[in-house]
Amino acid sequence: MHDVGYVAAGYTATFAALAGYRWHLAVRTRRARRYVTAVTGRARGWRRRP
Amino acid sequence: MRCLYRAFTVLGSYRAQRVMGVATLAGLAATAILGLFVVPPDATQGNVQRLMYVHVPAAWVTFLAFGVVFIASAAYLKTGRIHWDRVAAASAEIGVLFCALTIVLGSLWGRPVWGTWWTWDPRLTTTAVLLLIYVGYLSLRKVADSPVRRAKWAAVVGIVGFVDVPIVHQSVVWWRSLHQQATVLRLGAPTIAGSMLATLLLGFVAFSLAYGYLMAVRMRVGRLEDRSAVPVSSLSAPRARRPRSAGVPPPASAGVPPPASADVPLSASAGVPSSMPADVPAPVVSDSHA
Repeated sequence: MHDVGYVAAGYTATFAALAGYRWHLAVRTRRARRYVTAVTGRARGWRRRP
Repeated sequence: MRCLYRAFTVLGSYRAQRVMGVATLAGLAATAILGLFVVPPDATQGNVQRLMYVHVPAAWVTFLAFGVVFIASAAYLKTGRIHWDRVAAASAEIGVLFCALTIVLGSLWGRPVWGTWWTWDPRLTTTAVLLLIYVGYLSLRKVADSPVRRAKWAAVVGIVGFVDVPIVHQSVVWWRSLHQQATVLRLGAPTIAGSMLATLLLGFVAFSLAYGYLMAVRMRVGRLEDRSAVPVSSLSAPRARRPRSAGVPPPASAGVPPPASADVPLSASAGVPSSMPADVPAPVVSDSHA
């Protein structure tokens, strides 16, 4: 029973690390997009109409 | 090498990312369910051996990620193309994550089996050195002032640092070690039960998918960050200064108010628009534009 705690901690750490890094990347993406938008005045994917 | 970069570019599309994200989640969930509930416990170690199904794949992805850093660094030094530097940086970051995870999982496994969280065993020590090398690699990238110099220095460290990867793998063979020897990546048949091997292989696939998915997302972030780090004048400056004609929709910014008019007031020192949000870092302006 004592070993189950280590196993649970290991799997929790694994999924927490992966989810945390994915969240970190989402924050960085949002920040970079806001930055580019603020500098260029254009949102990403914006296209001039003909 | 070109195929490698193209693969990450193709995987960077939204649809591919979404598919790979779902596949990654499914693979990780299947690995966890099989590893925790289906596969029988080890005869000698008991339930704690179930950590193998995440510890070994994490170590595999560490090697894979640093291998990609090595290839991308060599490609950058050969071709001088900055996208290779972007691949190396992304892979190094993910490799550091998985390397740290490998050490943490090994420590959690070692405590009940070896009776200690950490020991200066050859495998553990060389893995810790590997982690420090690539943490240094990432730190170096923060220090260098010009993008070209940063890419060159990082490429050299990325190539030299990879020397430690085969040392880590062979450490249990070359030196007397507490850590067990290879059971799958060895000459001859694997010394592991069939159901355990199947779950372990599923873990390899799931973690490799996770690596590919995180690489695709991280590459997208890298492209955006590089775009926001180039001089303001080269960031579509003529378009930004052109008066908007009637009928052209205003930019749909994500929570950031767009510049009030097309004549964006830029500060004289760094070219920062007055509408720049407070939590956005100041842009990097090269010397030639400062």
